[in-house]
Amino acid sequence: MIKTEKILHLNSSKGRKVRVVREHYVREQVPCGSSLCQAHCHNVGKVLSSDVTHYVVPDVGVVRDFLEILEFRELQGVILTQTVYQNIQHSRGRRIHNRLRTLLKDPRHDCVLFANEFQQYCYCPREKGENVYSAAVWYHHHLAGLQPVVMITEDSDAISHFKLQAAHDLYSSIAQTLLERENEGGEKVYTEHLPAEVLEAGIKSGRYIQGILSVNKHRAQHEAFVRYEGSASKNTELNSDVLVSGVKHRNRAVHGDMVVIELMPRNEWKGRTMALTEGQGEERALEDTQSQPMPTGRVVGVLQRNWRDYVVTFPPLEEVQTQGRNALKILVVPWDYRVPKIRISTQQAEALQEQRVIVRLDSWESTSLYPNGHVVRVLGKAGDPETEIQTILLENCIHVSAFSEAQLREMPVNSKEKPWQVSSSEASSRKDLRNSHLVFSIDPKGCEDVDDTLSVRRLPGGKRLELGVHIADVTHFVREGSLTDLEARSRATTYYLADRRYDMLPPVLSADLCSLLGGVDRYAMSVLWELDAETLDVCTVWYGRTLIRSSYQLHYELAQSLLNGEQVEVPELKDLKDSLRDQKLAELLLALETLTRVARHLRAQRDKGGALELEGVEVRAQLDEKKNITALVPKQPLEVHETVAECMIYANHWVARKIQESFPHQALLRHHPAPKQEFFNPLIDSAKARGFSIDTRSNRALADSLERAVDPQDPLVNRLLRMMATQAMSNALYFSTGSCPEEHYYHYGLALERYTHFTSPIRRYADVIVHRLLMAAVRLETEGALAGNKELEELARHINDKNRAAQQAQKQSTELFQCLYFRDKDFLTDERCQADAVVYAVRANGFLAFVPQYGLKGAVYLKDREGRVLGVDAEGQCEWTSGTLQKYCDRISTCTSAGTHSFHLFDHVTVRISVEPSRCHADRLHLELISNRPHGSLQPETQTAARGRSEMVQEVMRRAEDKSRRPKLNKEEKQFRQSKTPNLYVLLQEIGELSLLDLSRCETGTE
Amino acid sequence: MAITELSALLKGMAGLELLSEQGYRLDGRKAGELRKLQARMSVFAQADGSAYLEQGNTKVLAVVYGPHETRGSRAKSLHDRAVINCQFSMATFSTAERKRRPHGDRKSSEMSLHLKQTFEAAVLTQLYPRSQIDIYVKILQADGSNYSACVNAATLALVDAGIPLRDYVCACTAGFVEDTALADLCHVEESGGGTALALALLPCSGNIALVQMDSRLHQDHLDKLMEAAAKACQDLSKVLDGVVRRHLEEVSDLTKH
Repeated sequence: MIKTEKILHLNSSKGRKVRVVREHYVREQVPCGSSLCQAHCHNVGKVLSSDVTHYVVPDVGVVRDFLEILEFRELQGVILTQTVYQNIQHSRGRRIHNRLRTLLKDPRHDCVLFANEFQQYCYCPREKGENVYSAAVWYHHHLAGLQPVVMITEDSDAISHFKLQAAHDLYSSIAQTLLERENEGGEKVYTEHLPAEVLEAGIKSGRYIQGILSVNKHRAQHEAFVRYEGSASKNTELNSDVLVSGVKHRNRAVHGDMVVIELMPRNEWKGRTMALTEGQGEERALEDTQSQPMPTGRVVGVLQRNWRDYVVTFPPLEEVQTQGRNALKILVVPWDYRVPKIRISTQQAEALQEQRVIVRLDSWESTSLYPNGHVVRVLGKAGDPETEIQTILLENCIHVSAFSEAQLREMPVNSKEKPWQVSSSEASSRKDLRNSHLVFSIDPKGCEDVDDTLSVRRLPGGKRLELGVHIADVTHFVREGSLTDLEARSRATTYYLADRRYDMLPPVLSADLCSLLGGVDRYAMSVLWELDAETLDVCTVWYGRTLIRSSYQLHYELAQSLLNGEQVEVPELKDLKDSLRDQKLAELLLALETLTRVARHLRAQRDKGGALELEGVEVRAQLDEKKNITALVPKQPLEVHETVAECMIYANHWVARKIQESFPHQALLRHHPAPKQEFFNPLIDSAKARGFSIDTRSNRALADSLERAVDPQDPLVNRLLRMMATQAMSNALYFSTGSCPEEHYYHYGLALERYTHFTSPIRRYADVIVHRLLMAAVRLETEGALAGNKELEELARHINDKNRAAQQAQKQSTELFQCLYFRDKDFLTDERCQADAVVYAVRANGFLAFVPQYGLKGAVYLKDREGRVLGVDAEGQCEWTSGTLQKYCDRISTCTSAGTHSFHLFDHVTVRISVEPSRCHADRLHLELISNRPHGSLQPETQTAARGRSEMVQEVMRRAEDKSRRPKLNKEEKQFRQSKTPNLYVLLQEIGELSLLDLSRCETGTE
Repeated sequence: MAITELSALLKGMAGLELLSEQGYRLDGRKAGELRKLQARMSVFAQADGSAYLEQGNTKVLAVVYGPHETRGSRAKSLHDRAVINCQFSMATFSTAERKRRPHGDRKSSEMSLHLKQTFEAAVLTQLYPRSQIDIYVKILQADGSNYSACVNAATLALVDAGIPLRDYVCACTAGFVEDTALADLCHVEESGGGTALALALLPCSGNIALVQMDSRLHQDHLDKLMEAAAKACQDLSKVLDGVVRRHLEEVSDLTKH
C-alpha cells in the first residue's frame, strides 16, 4: 500500500471553509470483477460475464443523467467506477444513490463497482476532470485486451452503441428535459424552499412540523393534509392532521412527499369542505359535516421526495395546439387524482394520443407552475382492459415480471419423465405421518395451491385427541437468500386481481410441489396439539417438519354435505368396494365431526374474549361482486368454512406464542390495534337513528351490541352497521416484537393476545419468515443468522406496504370490472342497471348508498351543479326541479313544489347505475336516484327473488339468535360432561343447511 | 427494493458509508489494516528520552524525564516505587480549526490519567522508590486514535530514556461497523458516531494494560472487537520493535566512528 494525501475543502459546522487533509491509501490489488480476469483477482460476489461484446465504463455525467438507461437489464457488462458512485452520492442525493446501490446489488443486473480510487495505477489526485478514463485504460491492460472496453461520455454517438430503441426514446426524452431545464427562467410561481439546516433546526425547536403530505383525492386542487408525525413538537393542541390549503401553500410538494410545514396564525385557519364530491362514497365517513377550522399550515420545505413512476394520459391534440408558443411542452394528466399535471417535452405527442404512458418526474422549479417530467414507457391504449390492469399495478407500485430463468433453474423439477421424489435423508429427518394420520384438506373448489391440511384422531387410550394442522413446507424449497426468496420477498404476497393473479412463488412450487395435493407425498410443517378429549384443553403442543400424504382433497360444499349426512360421492373413494368405502367414509366423517366440535369450542372461547365478526364483511361484499359480475357460482358461507378458519387461527396463535417466547425481540407477529373511539361516531349515530345503542368501549361490548342491533324487518341494517364498524377499524399489521411494547401485541378483531400468519406460506411472505423463525425456535440450530429486530421491522413494513398495495389493486381492479360490466349496458333500458340501494350516511348535498345486489357503495346526489334538487312526486318517481335541501343528522329532506320528502338512514331506494367515462382516470360508476321506493316492488321477477331472499334472511335471523346462545350451551356441555350433544349439533346443522348464514365469516383465517 | 432503500436510509442518517460493500474504508484501507506508522527516537538532546511518532496523519511528540527525585512536596513520593507523572496536551494547530487549548481541561486531564494508568502497569516502578518519572505528550496533528498514538510514542520515549519496561506497550483503537471490526480508526471514522474501543496491550504476555470504551456495544460483539484490537496491537509491536532496533543500529554506528 502506498499512502498519499488528499486535500479537501469542506464547510465546517459553523459555515467556515476548512482545509482538511485526509489520508488515502492506494494498492495494486483491487478486484476487477470480471470473469475474464487473467491476474487472479480475488473476486467476490457479482462477476461480469465473459460473453458480452464489450465492457462499458460510463462517466459521471452519463450516470447522473442516464441512470435509467443503465437500469435496462439488456445492458450488460457495465463497470461503474467508485468515482462515479461517490459523485452520485454527493451530488444527486440519497434517492438516486439508492437506486444505484440496488442496481449494483441486484444479481440480475450485469454490472459491477470498481474501486478505481484505491487502485494504484488508476488513482489521480482530485482535480478538475475525470479519472474514469484511467480506469478504463487500466481495465484494458488488466484484461490483456481480451475484451474491448468502451468508455461513455455524454456524447450522442456513444449512445448509438446500445442499439436499443427504447433506450433511444428514453434518451431523447431525457435530453429534451435537460435542454429545457437550462433555458428556464422567468418569474417565480412558488416561494423557495428553505435550506435543509434551517428546516432541521426548525423541526427541533418545534417551529416547523414534519410529516407526510397526503392529498385529498376528491379535492386534489385545494386540500391536502399532513399526517402529524412523531412527538418532536411540544404543541399539544396538534393531535389531528394539519390542513394545507391550496396549491400555493402546498409549494410544489407532491402526494407522498415528506414535507416540513409551518403553522399559520389561528385567524387564517380553515375548515374542510364537507359537501359530497364525485366518488366520495367509498371514503371513510367523516364525523361531522360542519367544518370547524382546523390547524392550517403551509409547506416550507421538502425533506424527501417520494416520487414514483406515474401513469398519465396525453390531452387531446387540439388542446395541445392552443398552448401556442410552447408547442413542444405538453401538460399531461396523471391517472392518480392526487398528482398534479406534469409538464412534458416530447415530439411524440401525436403518437401518444389515447395512450396510457408512464412518466417520471424530474424536477419542480419554483419558477414553474407544474413539475417537469419525461416519458419512460408506453403502456397501451387507454380504456383497454389490459392497459387498465397494468395501470392499476403500476399505480400501486406492484412490479411483477415473469420469473427469470435463473430463478426457475433453482426450482426442483417435477415432470412426467422426471417425477419429483421424497429424498431419503429428508424422510428420515422428518416425522412421518403418512401412515399414522388421516390427513385431509378442505379448500374452495378448484383450488390449486393447497396451503393447509388438517388431521384429527383419538390417541390410544381414548383420553386425548390429537389435532394437527399441516402447512406446506415452502421454506424447504425456498432457501433464504436464493433468487426465488428475493423475488418472493420483493413481491411479499400473491396479488389477486379480479380476473387474474400474480403468484409469489413460481408455479412449480405454488401449484405442485408445495401444494398439499391429495394422494401424493409432500413435505409439511406441522403443529400437533394433544387435547383432552373431554374438556378440549391443550395438554402438549408439538411443532416440526413432517412428511404427509393427504388422503382427501375435499372442497367446502362436499365437506358440509358429508357433515350434514347427505349421500355424496367422495371422488377419492369412487373406485373402492362398498364395504371398504363405507368404512373409509365413516372414518372421514368421524374426523370431520370431531373437527367441528373442536372448532366450535375454540370459537366459543374466542367469543368469550370478545372476538368480532367483522372482517368478513368486506370480503363478502367482494364475493357478491364476483358472483354478480363474473357470474361465478356464489360461494356460500358454510359452517365448515368457519371450522377450517378456526383451526388456522388456532395454529397461527400457537405459532405466534412459540416464536415470541423463543425470540422475544425478533419475532414477526401481527397485531390489530384497537380503533380510535371517535371513528365509531358515525356508527353510533347511524345506529341511533334506528334505535340501537352501540357500545364501543371494548371489542367484547362492540361484538355484543352489534349482535343485538338487528332489525327484523330489514337484515341489511345489521350488515351495514357491521360494515361501518369495519370501516372504523384500523388495519391489522405485521410488526417485529422488538420494536413494539408488549401491550400492543393484542389482536383486537380476533381477541387474541398473540397472533401471526403461519398457514399460507405459498401466497404470503410473512408466513415464510414465520416458518423460518419457528424452525429456528424448535431446532435451536439455524441455517443462517436470523434477521435482527431492525431488519425484521423494515421487512414487516415492506410487507405491510405491499399488502396494502395488493388490497388496493384488488379493489381497483374489481371496480374496473364493475365498470366494464355496466359499460356495455344501456343504463336507461337495461333492467340490470336498476337496483335497490340503502342509505347509510347523509351528507350536505346527497347521501351515500349501498347497493347490496352488486356490493357497490356510492354517492347519490340530491342537488346538481345548477342548484336543482331532486324532488319526489306522489308515485315516488324522482325529477330534477328547483327547490331546497335540508340536512339533519339522521335524514336529508328535499323541498320542492311537489312537496317535501325526507330520506332517512337505512331507507331503501331505487337507483340507476351508469358508467361515467373518464379520459384520464379510471371510469367510475354513477348512481342516480330514480325512486324513493325499494326497487323490488317495481320488478315482479326480481320481487320473488327478493322475497325469497328476505325470508331466508329472516330465518337466519332466528338462527342467529340461536347462535348467540351457543356459548351458553357449550358451558353446559362442559358442566355436565356430555361428550356429545346431539341437540346442539342438529341445531347448528340446520343453519348449515340453510347455507345463507349471512353473518358468518368465511375468510377469516385467510383474511 | 424498498428494503434496501430503507436500510440505506438508516445508514444515510448515520452519515458516510464507513465500510463500502467491497470492504474498503473511506481512506482505502481494508477492515484490519493499520495506517502507515513512522517513528523516530531521540529527537531532543535535553530530555532523557524522546520520540516522534506518526500514525497516519496523527503526529505525536513524547518526552520523558527521569527517573529523578520527586519535585515539589515530598508527600507525593512513594516509598516503594516511582511516581509516574503524565501530561497530555494538544497543539493549537492540531485540528482543522485553530483552537486555544488551556491546560487542565477535562479531556486532557482524563487523557493524562489514562496514560498514567497505562504506564504504571508497564514500567517497573519498584526499581526506583521515592523517585518520579515524567512523561509529556503533545499532539501536533490530530487525526484519530490520539490515545493510541500517545501511548506508542511514550513507549518509544521510555525506551529511549532507558527506563526498564515489562514489555512494549502498544495501543490501538478499533471500531465496529456493520458486524465488522475496523482497526486503527482515523478521525472521520471516529467522529462517525460508531463504537470506538481503545486497547493498550503488552504484546509478549498478552496482558492488557488498559482498555477503554465509552459507547454502547452489544455484548456479543465485544469479543470480536477486542480480538481485532489485540491483533492490531500485535502488529504495531513489530513495527515499534523495528523502530527501536533501527535506532540502536544508528546509534551504535555513530559511537563506532
